[in-house]
Amino acid sequence: MTTISPDIARAAITSDDDVAIPYMQRTRDCYLALGYGNPYRWAHFADVPFTPLKTPLDQARVTLITTAAPFQPEAGDQGPRAPYNARAKFYQVYSIPSDSVPDLRISHVGYDRRHTSAEDINTYLPLARLKEAAVAGRIGALGPRIHGAPTNRSHRTTVDLDAPALLRRCQEDGSDAVILAPS
Amino acid sequence: MCHQTVSLVARHLEASGIPTVIMGCAKDIVEHCGVPRLLFSDFPLGNQAGRPFDVRSQKETLELALRVLESAPAPRTTVQSPQRWADDPSWKRDFNDLTKLSPEIIAERRKEFDEVKSIAKAKRES
Repeated sequence: MTTISPDIARAAITSDDDVAIPYMQRTRDCYLALGYGNPYRWAHFADVPFTPLKTPLDQARVTLITTAAPFQPEAGDQGPRAPYNARAKFYQVYSIPSDSVPDLRISHVGYDRRHTSAEDINTYLPLARLKEAAVAGRIGALGPRIHGAPTNRSHRTTVDLDAPALLRRCQEDGSDAVILAPS
Repeated sequence: MCHQTVSLVARHLEASGIPTVIMGCAKDIVEHCGVPRLLFSDFPLGNQAGRPFDVRSQKETLELALRVLESAPAPRTTVQSPQRWADDPSWKRDFNDLTKLSPEIIAERRKEFDEVKSIAKAKRES
């Protein structure tokens, strides 16, 4: 792990815009600039559920959920630096064996195409690192399947259809904990 | 929308008894929704699991996510990875930078956006 050096407290102050990017505000401004009058309403809840981890991680079965899409040969450019590709989107939860080396791409989502290229799958899918963690005994096991979550502008589609389908699959897999990696 | 989607899914899993951690780069979207645990990497979208071709960065990112999973004391726990994308933070200004939107780009983006919406609508109705 990164260690903090004693002189970090005396480091120079960084610029005011060196903060987490305000994506909601930028998206709202962008919709307005594109001429859409009705800004998108982001999901927002006062209450947040919480379940403590009951099984020690070195005995736990950990499942990975991704928003990456299986490569579809007929759906156009999905390679590194591909422009946004709506045809490569998927609309139903999918599952693939985690002992495979899946070909999952992110050309269907709005990743930062200017500052990154999606050339290395391990930047958006921590599968290889999770397999190493299982071999090293840091986690008990990787779940038998990786599950794909369709990204959807409609909260209701996600909450009513996709989230229950993902829960069911995680239960079938005997998952003790889940890691979610959105792009 | 990816970050919002998984935030909703994390809430659903957690409410049903499965602990979760999100590895994400869009802190505001996830925290606005409200989730149990987030490991935030202040990296360009698409690098939520670490830097490209940098196994050490990816390993450290996963390890921190696992520690958040183990040790979060309460919901809405966000931990920010100490890794920095670049010494110069100016890359953060570029995403959806309105000052760079020409009329041609606006027309192109509108077309793209309308196309996505119509495809999703057709799929939902089919």
